[in-house]
Amino acid sequence: MSLIELKSVSKIYRLGSQEVQALTDLSLTFDAGEFAVLAGPSGSGKTTALNLIGCLDRPSTGQVIVSGIDLGTASPRQLADFRLQHIGFIFQSYNLIPVLTAAENAEFTLMLQKVPKRLRREKVCKLFADLGIDGLEDRRPSDLSGGQQQRVAIARAMAANPQVILADEPTANLDSHTAEDLLDLMRQLNQEKGTTFIFSSHDDRVISQARRVIRLEDGYLAEDIRITM
Amino acid sequence: MLLTLAFRNLWRNRRRTLLTLSAMVVSAALLILALGVFSGMFKDMLASATEQYYGHLVIAHPEYHLRRDLYAHLPIDIVDLPAIDRELAITGKSPRLRSFGLLSRPETSQPVELLGIIPELEQQVTSLQRQLTAGHYPTAEEHNGALIGQGLAHKMKVQPGDELVFITQAADGSIGNDLLIVSGIFATGDSRHDNNLVLAPLPWLQQVLVLPGRIHEVAMVIDDPMIAAQVADRMAPHLSGNIEVLDWGDLLPEMREVIAAYDVSRMIIVTILYMATGLGILNTFFMSVMERTREFGILMAQGMRPWSIRGLVLLETLLLSIIALAIGLFCGAIMTLYMQQVGIDLSAYITPVTYAGGTILPRLHAVFESGNFLVPAGMLLLVSLFAGFLPANRAARLDPVAAVRED
Repeated sequence: MSLIELKSVSKIYRLGSQEVQALTDLSLTFDAGEFAVLAGPSGSGKTTALNLIGCLDRPSTGQVIVSGIDLGTASPRQLADFRLQHIGFIFQSYNLIPVLTAAENAEFTLMLQKVPKRLRREKVCKLFADLGIDGLEDRRPSDLSGGQQQRVAIARAMAANPQVILADEPTANLDSHTAEDLLDLMRQLNQEKGTTFIFSSHDDRVISQARRVIRLEDGYLAEDIRITM
Repeated sequence: MLLTLAFRNLWRNRRRTLLTLSAMVVSAALLILALGVFSGMFKDMLASATEQYYGHLVIAHPEYHLRRDLYAHLPIDIVDLPAIDRELAITGKSPRLRSFGLLSRPETSQPVELLGIIPELEQQVTSLQRQLTAGHYPTAEEHNGALIGQGLAHKMKVQPGDELVFITQAADGSIGNDLLIVSGIFATGDSRHDNNLVLAPLPWLQQVLVLPGRIHEVAMVIDDPMIAAQVADRMAPHLSGNIEVLDWGDLLPEMREVIAAYDVSRMIIVTILYMATGLGILNTFFMSVMERTREFGILMAQGMRPWSIRGLVLLETLLLSIIALAIGLFCGAIMTLYMQQVGIDLSAYITPVTYAGGTILPRLHAVFESGNFLVPAGMLLLVSLFAGFLPANRAARLDPVAAVRED
C-alpha cells in the first residue's frame, strides 16, 4: 500500500467572485522513503498539492489518503492530531518562532506530543549534532544565519520522527553553497532514517537531487519521472 | 513550554504590553482605593449611628421600639440574661432608660431626649467620651452630672458646671423634674444628637420617672457590626416573649438599604471602569494576534490543535492580568493603607452631612475590606479573559494555509 495517495484531486480557490483552479484531476501515489520533488513554475499548483498532502487543506473534489486514512471528512482537531503524528513541515522562510530558542523551536512538536522535557532535550541535542548546529541550542532565531535557521527548521520537522517531511521551496532563501549542504543533509536523512521527503521547488539544484520529479503545469500533472541512481 | 511561549509573547511589543499593563494596574489600584474610601464613608456613617447612640444590637420590650412607650419597660436584671452572657461576640452592653422632656434654665427651655445610663457601661457601647469638647464624662459618683450635646449647650448658653432643670412626665402620672449639673459637652457632628441628646445617670432618671429598677433597653456592641443580624438571630430563640432583640438594621432600616445598595453600586462601578480597561486589553490582543497570524499557521501546521491555539492566547491574557493584578493589588493596598492611616481632612471645605440615619464626616479615609480587593480582582480576571476570548477565537479559527502565507 502506498504511503500517500491522491485520487483525482482537484482544488478550486475562490478569490472574491472569481474561482481559481489550482489543481485539476491530479492522481499520484508516494511510497515510504521517497525523495521526490513537485516541480513547476509559479502558479503550477506545487504548494497546493503539498498543502493537500500535508492535511493543511482539503481537496474540492477527489481523495487524499495518507497512511491509509482518508482525511476528507476529518475535523480540524483530527487533522491537527494527524499532522502532529505523521507529518513534518519545512517552509521557505524557515518560520521559526522568534521568541523561542533554537532548541525550543525544535522541541515544540515533541512538547505537543507530551514527551517529557529531558527526553525532548536529549533528542533535539542529538539532532542538532547530526545537523551540524550543536552549540546553537540556546540562540534565538534572530541570532542565526539563514542556513542555520533552515537547519533548525529541519530539526523541528524531524524531531517527532514523522513518516513524511514536506518542504515548500526550502532552498529559495539560501545561497547556493548552503542550499547544496542542506540538500545533501536531507538526502542523508532520507537514506539513513527512511523518512519520505516531498519538496515543492523550481530550483534546479533541488530537482537534480531528487529521485522522482513530478512536473505540474497549470494545475495538471505534466510529467512524473523516477530517476534511478 | 506553552507558559514560556505565552510569557515571551507578551513582551514582544514591550511598549504596547506595558501600556496595557499600566492601564490595568491603574484601574485596579484606583478602584481598590475608591472602594476603600467608599467603605470608609459607610463605616463612618454606621459608626456615627451605632457608636454614638444606638449600639449594634438592642434588647427591649417589643412595644418599645415602635412607640417609645414610657411604660414598655423591663427590669434592669435583663442585662445579665444568659442569652447575652452566652454570646461571645458581644463586647459591651449598657442598660438605658429613656425620657423625652424639657431642659430648662431661667432664660430658655429646649426639648430634649434624655438617656439614663451607667457611665462605665455606656462607655463600652458609645464613644461620646472621645468626642468631648468641654468638661468631662459623668462619673458614677456624680449623682446628677449630665453630658449634653454641643448644639444644645450653645442654644442654652451653658458651660460645664452650670445647672439645668429637666421636666418630664413620670410613670406615675406626675410631673417629674430635677436638677442636672453639666459635667461635659460633646460634639459628634450629627446635629440630631448634638442638638437634642442628654446623658444622665440611670438612678437619677429612674427616680425622676418613678421607675426604680427599670430600664427601656440594653444597647450592645459586637466586634463586627456586619454580623449583627446573625447575632440577633442566635439570641432571639433564648429570649422570653416580652423581650425582643433588634440589630442596627432594624433600628436604622435606611442605613441597611444604603449599605445593601453599596454592594450593588460597587459591582456597577467596577463593571463600568473595567469596560474601558477591557477594550484596551481587547485592542492589545487583537493587534498581537493579527501580527502573529503566520506564526499561528506554523503552529497549526506542526499539529497544534485549534483549542490549544485559543488556550495560548487566553494564557497570555491571563498572565498579563495576573501580573497587573499582583501590582494593582499591591498599589491599591499601599494607597488604602495610606488613606487609612493619614486620610484627607475636608473639614475646611465641607461640614458633616447626616444621611440615612448616619453622619458622613468631612474626611476621606479608607478601610480595608476583603470585598474591595476580591471584587476588583475577580472582575479584572473575568474582563481580561472575556476581552482575550475574541482574539483567541480568531486565532483558533484561522485557516492554516492562508495563515502560513500571511506576510
